[in-house]
Amino acid sequence: MEYQTVRTTCTYCGTGCGVLLEVLDGEVVGTLPQKDHPINEGKLCIKGWSAHEFIYADGRLTKPLVRKGDKLEEASWDEALDFVAKRLLELKKKNGPDSLGCFSSAKCTNEENYLLQKIFRAVIGTNNVDHCARL
Amino acid sequence: MTNSVPEFEDADCILITGSNTTSSHPLIASRVMKAKEKGAKIIVIDPRKNHIASLADIHVKQNLGSDVAWINGLMHIILKEGWQNQTFIDERTEGFEDLKKAVEAYTPEKAEEISGIPKETLREIAELYAKSEKSSIIYCMGITQHITGTDNVKSLANLAMLTGQIGRPSTGVNPLRGQNNVQGSTDMAAIPNKYPGYQDVTNDEIREKFEKAWGGPLSPKVGLTVVEMINAIEEGKLKGLYILGENPMISDPDSTHVEKALDDVEFLVVQDIFLTETAKKADVVLPGASFAEKDGTYTGTDRRVQKIRKAIDPLGEAKPDWEILCLVGKALGGKGFDFQSPREVFDELAELTPIYHGIDYDRIEKEIIHWPCREKDDPGSPYLHKDGFARGKGLFTPIEYKPPAELPDDEYPYQLTTGRLPFHYHTGTMTRVSPSLTHEINEAYIELHPQDAKALGVKHGERVRVSSRRGAIEVKVLVTSGIKQGVAFIPFHFAEAAANRLTNSAALDPIAKIPEYKVCAIKIEKINGREG
Amino acid sequence: MDKLRNYVKELLESGEITGFLGLIDDGGHPIPHLFTKEHIDRLNDLVVPDFRYPMTDILLKIVRKYPESTIGVMVRGCDDRALIELAKNQKIMSDLIRPVGVACSKEMAESCRCSQPYPREIHYGEKVEGVQDRSDLEEVESMDLSGRLDYWMGQFSKCIKCYGCRNICSMCFCDQCTLEDETLVMTGQTPPEIPIFHLIRAFHMAGRCIDCGLCEEACPAHIPLRSLYRKVREDMANYLGYVTGKDEYEKDPLEFLGSEGYEVPSKIDET
Ligand code: SF4
Ligand code: SF4
Ligand code: SF4
Repeated sequence: MEYQTVRTTCTYCGTGCGVLLEVLDGEVVGTLPQKDHPINEGKLCIKGWSAHEFIYADGRLTKPLVRKGDKLEEASWDEALDFVAKRLLELKKKNGPDSLGCFSSAKCTNEENYLLQKIFRAVIGTNNVDHCARL
Repeated sequence: MTNSVPEFEDADCILITGSNTTSSHPLIASRVMKAKEKGAKIIVIDPRKNHIASLADIHVKQNLGSDVAWINGLMHIILKEGWQNQTFIDERTEGFEDLKKAVEAYTPEKAEEISGIPKETLREIAELYAKSEKSSIIYCMGITQHITGTDNVKSLANLAMLTGQIGRPSTGVNPLRGQNNVQGSTDMAAIPNKYPGYQDVTNDEIREKFEKAWGGPLSPKVGLTVVEMINAIEEGKLKGLYILGENPMISDPDSTHVEKALDDVEFLVVQDIFLTETAKKADVVLPGASFAEKDGTYTGTDRRVQKIRKAIDPLGEAKPDWEILCLVGKALGGKGFDFQSPREVFDELAELTPIYHGIDYDRIEKEIIHWPCREKDDPGSPYLHKDGFARGKGLFTPIEYKPPAELPDDEYPYQLTTGRLPFHYHTGTMTRVSPSLTHEINEAYIELHPQDAKALGVKHGERVRVSSRRGAIEVKVLVTSGIKQGVAFIPFHFAEAAANRLTNSAALDPIAKIPEYKVCAIKIEKINGREG
Repeated sequence: MDKLRNYVKELLESGEITGFLGLIDDGGHPIPHLFTKEHIDRLNDLVVPDFRYPMTDILLKIVRKYPESTIGVMVRGCDDRALIELAKNQKIMSDLIRPVGVACSKEMAESCRCSQPYPREIHYGEKVEGVQDRSDLEEVESMDLSGRLDYWMGQFSKCIKCYGCRNICSMCFCDQCTLEDETLVMTGQTPPEIPIFHLIRAFHMAGRCIDCGLCEEACPAHIPLRSLYRKVREDMANYLGYVTGKDEYEKDPLEFLGSEGYEVPSKIDET
């Protein structure tokens, strides 16, 4: 019997409410508003209250996929990563670094955004880095 | 945002425009309601009578894309009446005379003619906003997603500076950022012209700093934006694309065009938690982790850097996204990707990013910090421009009104605007698998004014075909007097009836490169025959 | 505090309880946590802050999964009243719950306007007298009927349909929530259909609400929900002589309505 709550930040809008994820025996079973958070002060909207619901939804990806002909097929991490590196480096060699680009994510963390732009700027050598959140 | 979220509560006047606050930022709407209870006047300028508009003291529906005109109109009235804050103007700003000249022409009559807002109401709004002790402006995508987006934002800044409603608690100009970490991803330079912390890629000194830190030469050339990259694929210039946690197939304007680009690009990598419409087109899909499965930080709309914490392990063989990116960096032969935890990544980025320099994981464990926070003993900045603007003095920018790129005509007689619902989020990849949310609503619809519905011969609940020059979708009709006549609204969360098949990606704001999602011309046709 | 920690420690170590639901200090923020014998050291971080989480609501989630285990739980006066009602509604077995009682401070009792700020048995804190304050009700009662209607309609129109009032409430334990019944409340709207949404909830709280006020604290629209349910509670007391959360063996006069919500005749199809 294990129950704990994990203090984190709502993943939906930019308000950034404090939420607690309720974890019962290793499974997220609910969301509570953080009572002493200065922004939401123990309140949430409907999205916040159901922030845990998509975690185990059908269709969550659990394995890398690599295209074989028309189909995306499950692959190992090594295979997927090697393929990504090989193709990106080939294209860079053939067409130059500015033939590659990335869309970073307004849903991912600061650390992840930092890493992706670092890959494209420092390793690939292009400033073709943007995000879709002008939208 | 120039100010922090809790400050709204103590404002005396809140002017909200282009933000469906209750839908998109419910807990900010909560503060606005609190402010109202404490006696603040709430003004909403929006083409739809949304929830917050229904609670406002004043709500007016402006013509789509007329924002510069009514804002200039307000400034005209303020200057005529002498309601400006002359001390603030003299001490803290430049370019006042130019602004004065520019708004001279925007008489209340002219502003009314362009915006459709009665001149008496404009006067009332001008007085409330200018004369209240603390007035705050809230805006969102309804202001930015126009070809004049940058102009609109600058106009609002002009208004705030003219009246000295900035640089103090509970005032300011406050854009609400849509997705949870838009602020952070921009801070972290997910933009083509900057390094983290808004440092220019074209500045030699700065570039050298990053070259030293990252151990290699960097490109001095400004990169391409999302829309430009899509176009570059079509032109055969962009060959490989890496998409992290985004679904441009639904979120980007003119999705037919985006779909073709994603089909055509030679190599596409998508890193996501679901097999989205975009991921289905990929050559490689890398399974990332949800917010419950990783550590890291988000930066809220008011520049507040906060932690997310791992509650469970990633599902199956999925990995936290920061870890995947380190693996990709290393596989490409990059150096400096040997991080053991997000904390180590944060330490590196804080070192290189002056506005984050004073922040670390131990501090945000305990305190709430808003950037800029430059040193460890710096408490951070809940509100900006206390003692001055970044460039020293605030510069007034005279702005002229320009009509939207696509106006209604005989063939496409209605105007479409798009937006969010309180029950869903962005392209719906997370919310549409969430039972509590799909229970509320799980289908796109089009809001029509009763007069328009009558003219089209359609009833509430019937289906219509909506088309623009770019594509067509079919949706159910919702008749409501809450929308302006001649204007239709479609929420953009629903892939099967993606509003962005209709929107206009060719019309970009020249500076911010934001597409004009909020106005395009459409036609609406009743679908004949019985529907099930 | 050490006395409380030692008491809980004994309960866990002796095997009298399998887990203790309390609050743990997490970087200066108290959050709900189930303390167990396996991680007994964590009891050093057990805290009693001056704000509340819905302890009995969380307890129900654990009890549903472990119906046979004995579980300890930190209770204040309001939580204890909830335990009484939950037992009456057969949602918990009193024998399997070990309430560890905390008496609220004077400040808390006042800010909660709590009429009974202490549980049946106190293990921590000093008992202070309850606050008898019905000024919120008097204010509304002083309005005439149409004024009252306007007042409530004005309040309800702020609702953003977050369902927080229901989610945080220990007494909202139905499997099927009537608020989500599309034949009664149209889905997808903010505010939800008013006043029906709020009246349904108010009626459902009759004979259940233990006046903890957590719903009002959770309401982003700042609707004085508790006053509404208090009124219903008062009417129950005045007309039916029934007060919730007092006596475990007293029968709820509305019990015949069942614990799974009320049967709603399905809307007759217009076709
Ligand atoms: S709870 Fe609602 S308002 Fe708060 S961050 Fe989440 S989506 Fe935004
Ligand atoms: S006061 Fe509110 S939360 Fe508490 S029992 Fe009554 S209805 Fe439920
Ligand atoms: S908590 Fe308030 S806003 Fe949320 S559903 Fe209940 S009454 Fe409405």
